[in-house]
Amino acid sequence: MTTVSTSSVSTEVSDIDRSAHCSLSFLIASSLAWLVIGGVLSLINLIQLHTPAFLADCAWLTYGHTQALQETALIYGWAVNGGLAVGLWFLARLGGAPLRGGNYISIGAVFWNLGLTAALVGIACGEMTSFSLLQLPRFIQPLMLVAFGAMAAPGVLAWTGRRKEATYATQWYVVGALFLFPWFFSVAQVMLLFVPVRGVLQTVLASWYAQNVYSLLLAPLAVAVLYYLLPKIKGKVIPSYDFAIYGFWSLLLFGTWMAGRTLVGGPVPAWIPTMAIVASSLVLFHHIILFVNLREVFSPAGSLALKFAGFGFAAYLINGVVDAFFSSRVLAAVTQFTYFQTAQHQLVLAAFSLSIFAAIYYLAPRIVGAAWPSSSLARAHYMASIIGFTVLICALAIAGWRQGVALNNPELNFTAIAGITRPWLLVATAAQGLLVVGNLALGIHFVRLMLTKSTAESLAKFNQPSALEASS
Amino acid sequence: MSAEMPNDPRLEQAAATDESLISAHEKAAAGEPDTHAHYRLLPLALLFVFSGLIFFGGTYLNRYSGHFHSEIFDERQMPGGGAEAAVVQIDPVVLGRKQYALACITCHQANGQGVPNVYPPLVGSEWVNGSEERVISILLHGLKGPITVEGKTYNAAVMPAFGQVPGGGYNWSDEKIAAVLTYVRQEWGNTGGPIAVAKVTELRNKEANRKEWTEAELLQLP
Amino acid sequence: MKNGFLFFFGLFFVLALSWAGLVLGTQAQMGDLSPHYDDLEGKSFPERASGLASRGQLVYQDLGCAACHTQQVRRPEYGSDKERNWGSRQSVARDYVQQARPLLGSSRIGPDLANFGMRAKEDGVDAASLLVSLYNGSEGMPAYRFLFEERKIIGESSPKGLQGVAAPGYELVPTERAETLVAYLLSLKQTYEFSEARPFEPVHANEGAHE
Repeated sequence: MTTVSTSSVSTEVSDIDRSAHCSLSFLIASSLAWLVIGGVLSLINLIQLHTPAFLADCAWLTYGHTQALQETALIYGWAVNGGLAVGLWFLARLGGAPLRGGNYISIGAVFWNLGLTAALVGIACGEMTSFSLLQLPRFIQPLMLVAFGAMAAPGVLAWTGRRKEATYATQWYVVGALFLFPWFFSVAQVMLLFVPVRGVLQTVLASWYAQNVYSLLLAPLAVAVLYYLLPKIKGKVIPSYDFAIYGFWSLLLFGTWMAGRTLVGGPVPAWIPTMAIVASSLVLFHHIILFVNLREVFSPAGSLALKFAGFGFAAYLINGVVDAFFSSRVLAAVTQFTYFQTAQHQLVLAAFSLSIFAAIYYLAPRIVGAAWPSSSLARAHYMASIIGFTVLICALAIAGWRQGVALNNPELNFTAIAGITRPWLLVATAAQGLLVVGNLALGIHFVRLMLTKSTAESLAKFNQPSALEASS
Repeated sequence: MSAEMPNDPRLEQAAATDESLISAHEKAAAGEPDTHAHYRLLPLALLFVFSGLIFFGGTYLNRYSGHFHSEIFDERQMPGGGAEAAVVQIDPVVLGRKQYALACITCHQANGQGVPNVYPPLVGSEWVNGSEERVISILLHGLKGPITVEGKTYNAAVMPAFGQVPGGGYNWSDEKIAAVLTYVRQEWGNTGGPIAVAKVTELRNKEANRKEWTEAELLQLP
Repeated sequence: MKNGFLFFFGLFFVLALSWAGLVLGTQAQMGDLSPHYDDLEGKSFPERASGLASRGQLVYQDLGCAACHTQQVRRPEYGSDKERNWGSRQSVARDYVQQARPLLGSSRIGPDLANFGMRAKEDGVDAASLLVSLYNGSEGMPAYRFLFEERKIIGESSPKGLQGVAAPGYELVPTERAETLVAYLLSLKQTYEFSEARPFEPVHANEGAHE
């Protein structure tokens, strides 16, 4: 229950938020820009699936190029910028001190985004590395690593300089992501690009990297959002919180071993996909603990942020179950190499994106000091995202399953397979278009928010929260 | 009194301070179990689930990992089960045909007829279809000087040594020599039987270093 | 979590564990995998690609062909790889040791190409007809016109020109990228029978040795 403060100035918006205003606004703005750009590239990519002749004459936009472009823009543009903005704000808030080194964040973000632009131009010119989720051209990767370090350093400072000795689950997850990403990014750079390992070892390492992006970067940031927003908005302590620590370590321990799911039946020793299948099942322990902790998020009680978070959490849980079942060899015989894997990728992205949207809707007014200007834009974005993601993922999954069944039938040639999947791909394209429209609405809305001035009146609208009781 | 509705999407209200968030959860993590009955069962339930997952994982790993062997690519296979490990049975006629086309064809021709007065034919030749020792020796160490085949004389300067002998440029393994002879002895209507690899090895070891045979020396062989 | 040092050690440990297992472990197992020298054939397999084909691999990588085509054959009973004549045996690690960057691919929007050279030889597809199908596009693959250039005929027309398209006085010739790409595609073979690639026959009956 919230209680209204008697003083005119709420301490809910404080120096912490003001210190983060410049740098985090820039991060969120660039993440939303990349979200829209990536969404458009993804739309072109989907169109090329059912209409191969679309833009086929353009050497920069072959299907292979748009595939690499959209995945790079969405992961390195939207996910890293958005996740960092949200994560750094959580660390600052929970650390209880204003963000130090905000300039480093801004400079790092500038170089990160410049580097990403150069990377996308490089990919369009054919310099991509051909490793899934690591398509950034070789020449730009060291710069990206340094820029990430600059952006993450203030987060580390917020952790080490925290006011309270005790820490909360959100902080573990964010610090985990901030620390692990530079490590596995640099390992992948060295062992794949600069001193490459030989033969299929490259494939194994590339799989390891891609899985780590999902399990050690995207997943922890999404879960951090859920752990923060639920008690903050509902005002209740997380049930069975003493198990949250096991959930954290089980994600980290088992998540990275899931690399190799995509190598079932491939030219790698059989133990690698077998380990991945086992790890995919073991990581369900993490999902069970999360469900026990966070199931209240499914009753959002009218809060928009919690509605987003609820769908994001549902996508996250479904993703865990789908990964566990569909990595098994029996089902992978059908779904491997099909659009079903694209659907799985989109499911991870949906879980992450919806959680980050929830966080953005929560934190952006606080760093600006004023409420969002338009509720219709917020609702439009919400409907577009939910409908868009649901339809996109279901359409791709069905298309992928039918493609897989058809591929395993040697009588059907590829024209027939294309005919079978075409209607579902058209539906998926429409859903992606809806997503782009929704994200554009969010982008416009954010720009309008940035232009809103923070006044005493707008600050007064923030209720003063009370202290959380220790047990519910 | 707040002017906003309680659930306005334009502004999410916080219901707890950050400090209390941390301290309340610190207490929850450290604290006594809840009085609610079903929470006390939770640790047991989680332990049960985790054990089940570990059991599944362990069994699956045991069965389908090929014991982490680097050369097992089929998950159903176990290491050490390869019955026909590295022994590959090659058909000597197939190999011999290939070797003939590589080396012998230039002189003895594709049809085995040779060139009149120069290179002897292999078709119906008594040298080819007759004594094993003689024909193996020709191939191993080479032949120098004229040779009479089916009444006609052939005056090629020399037939090179094909075996692994000093001065030999071809260094064919015993398997290759046996193969090419087996091939020639059944091709173009020839009726000689196959040549065993062991016989080639025996003869090579017997006459290790020698120069090319002459016809007279060969006729002394059994 | 109060103990900051333990926390960071834990983070390091989980990543190091999976790196040691998956990356170092496979490096230890397969890092020195080398081509197999066959006495009877007198050469080692897999064979090294010719210079043109190596440049063609760069073009393949550059164009992003791996986004639609895989280059890995699955074992005979797993899927329909063998029935589609994509390969009579499973691809193994040794097939890729000579490649600077194996382009295994992860999507089969188009057919698998691991044995494309072998299939082309069987079907009588040569470089010229492959260039024509690159220009025209085929089934679901778009026409890659930018791999060709139309130029004015100066003196004699080039023998590499594609017939029937260019305006009078002009000829349509493949660019160097197209030629190297075609050379690369025609070199793709995984036909050598490595011992580890032999299909595994599961034994159903018990060996009666213990009677």
